[in-house]
Amino acid sequence: MEMEKLIADLKVQIIEQLNLQEVKPEDIGDDAPLFKEGLGLDSIDALELIVLLQQHYGIRVANPDDGPRIFQSVRTIAQFITEQKAAQA
Amino acid sequence: MKIFINGTGSVSPQETAAGAAFWPSFIPAEGNRRKVVDPDYKQWIDIKQIRRMSRVIKMGVGAAQLSLQEAGLWQPDGIITGTAYGCLDDTGVFIKKMVEQEEQMLTPTAFIQSTHNTVGGQVALLLGCHAYNNTFVHRGHSFESALLDATMILREGTAKQLLVGGLDEITHFSHAILERFGLFRHHVDGEGAAFFVLGTVQGPAASACLAGVQTVYKPADTAAVLRARDQLLATAGLGWADIDLLVLGQDGTADAWYTAMGTGKPALGFKQACGEYPTASAFAMWLANRVLSLQQAPPELVLQGKLPSKINNILIYNHHMGSHHSLILLTVC
Repeated sequence: MEMEKLIADLKVQIIEQLNLQEVKPEDIGDDAPLFKEGLGLDSIDALELIVLLQQHYGIRVANPDDGPRIFQSVRTIAQFITEQKAAQA
Repeated sequence: MKIFINGTGSVSPQETAAGAAFWPSFIPAEGNRRKVVDPDYKQWIDIKQIRRMSRVIKMGVGAAQLSLQEAGLWQPDGIITGTAYGCLDDTGVFIKKMVEQEEQMLTPTAFIQSTHNTVGGQVALLLGCHAYNNTFVHRGHSFESALLDATMILREGTAKQLLVGGLDEITHFSHAILERFGLFRHHVDGEGAAFFVLGTVQGPAASACLAGVQTVYKPADTAAVLRARDQLLATAGLGWADIDLLVLGQDGTADAWYTAMGTGKPALGFKQACGEYPTASAFAMWLANRVLSLQQAPPELVLQGKLPSKINNILIYNHHMGSHHSLILLTVC
């Protein structure tokens, strides 16, 4: 349930942060790719997502090489947040 | 060498992008602020790109696309813009976040989009245009400086067709600050973007030429402006008697500058339609080009006199805050 709520929150935050006009949370699949396909995000969006993680969740992406894995889909972002929160606890 | 106005486009507080002669119906000012009537920008800009564009960028890109469409041109030899305020809204967003977040975790979009040359850059990106790209930021002479640059480049022969525009936006904060300075006691705040395709070869849509541009900074008196006017007309091989119509920057109440310039000539006022902003003369040039093309003028803008049956030469005279004076001469071609 916590994961579902986190995914739902992330969708709203992504739409707001990236100003995805005419996109609704239900339009974004939990496992749909965010870059190239799916939402078609680009490198600037990646920076916006890194800022989003810092602002909303206090999480820094320390290794840029992890980016493609973390930002693959909304679910992978949620899993990364959950892992980081668990490690911080 | 003649410089032809091969295409024009305007996004303004009137519905100038709607395809009517001037606009479907005149929209009068309500209060002391005029906002642009936004066309559907999605007809020119992909929805994925629109999301990173603030209002002024969309206004500029829309006006640029309209002018290119009219000229039937898809790749200009250069893009020159004039703007006093630049991307003011994004600048405000970025600075506000800097303060609120103590310079930490700043998002890149507002920063990237907050520079004055963003509109020129965005137009170039959309067109894939790698040619000359320059933005002039000279307060009330920003658009005129862009025109002068374009004129010189075209006369040098290094370009055949240039995309030239002037644009500025009002934001909630800029309006509030300028209002506190008392700026809009006698004027209505305005905004807009107007673009032109200028070329040395006449295009199918061209009906007017840009015959000259003259700027005067802080003239001592009205006589100094009149001397500049006569100099401009002489350079174009014309005299005061040849001017058929004036397009003046006054929006109702005349001041000494406009009174001195307007003596004895039929005149239109353009700021009744677009409001006061530093690059409002770009709107005036769009209006004057339409008047020459259609040989008619919007009755709402007539300040004085009766329009002659044939309009060959129009002189645009504007001043911004009494310090930046400019004269733009258009002739029929």
